[in-house]
Amino acid sequence: MDAEDDLNCRQASRLLSLACERPLDARELRSLKMHLDECLMCTNFEMQLRFLHKASEVFRNAG
Amino acid sequence: MILSTAMTAPPTNPRFAEIESHRGYLVRYALSQLRDQQLAEEAVQEALLAALEGIGKFDGRSTLRTWLTSILRFKVIDLQRRLVAERANVALDDDRIVEDHDAWLDDMFDETGHWRSPPQAWNDPEAALEQRRFWEAFEMCLAGLPSTASRVFFKREVLGEDTPVICKDEGITSSNCWVILHRARIALRGCLERNWFGREAVHGR
Repeated sequence: MDAEDDLNCRQASRLLSLACERPLDARELRSLKMHLDECLMCTNFEMQLRFLHKASEVFRNAG
Repeated sequence: MILSTAMTAPPTNPRFAEIESHRGYLVRYALSQLRDQQLAEEAVQEALLAALEGIGKFDGRSTLRTWLTSILRFKVIDLQRRLVAERANVALDDDRIVEDHDAWLDDMFDETGHWRSPPQAWNDPEAALEQRRFWEAFEMCLAGLPSTASRVFFKREVLGEDTPVICKDEGITSSNCWVILHRARIALRGCLERNWFGREAVHGR
């Protein structure tokens, strides 16, 4: 395993947000997946980003 | 000022409360386009009055919010034209923005890059979308962001504009745009967790 591929939560959260703006490259994806496999907090953050995206869409179209 | 002008609208109109309930969203929309609280409220006020007068023309093919937004968009464009004539669009100070947002992110994570306030698992978040009080919290959290972050997030996630277009309009680089969005998302999730999802035991649902 490449040590520089080990992400901390700050870096992982940055990549998760970035993934909303552009496709991640293979290296970014690999290190992010490795981090998420071990980190429940960032997995929660990922689900919250999906929720924010969904809620924003509903916000625009609300009755 | 908002309240008093709102009161000048005919309260006898049966759709008044329904239309008025969209004011919060419309102000966020106007702010994302105008960057000026007073102008944004002015545009919304004019749009709501026009909507009250023209509610008979609303055919229900779109949602009421979409219809109101389309009226507001014309008011906003009018105001933008007036603004452009009055003053050149002041570009943001790119470097300072990134410093500010980086410094803020420093506070969210410790020296080793771990969350200081770890994101929790939210119980059935979809159910919140059905609750009026959730949307009050959502609007409050959006309004609580720094103005740049709130505006950029609104354009990106609520209006669904492409990031390159937003960056160009804001006069900032893509990577700075990403920093701003990263901050906005972390701040919003934190605000919602404090004010809604973390309080499920208190408000019951």
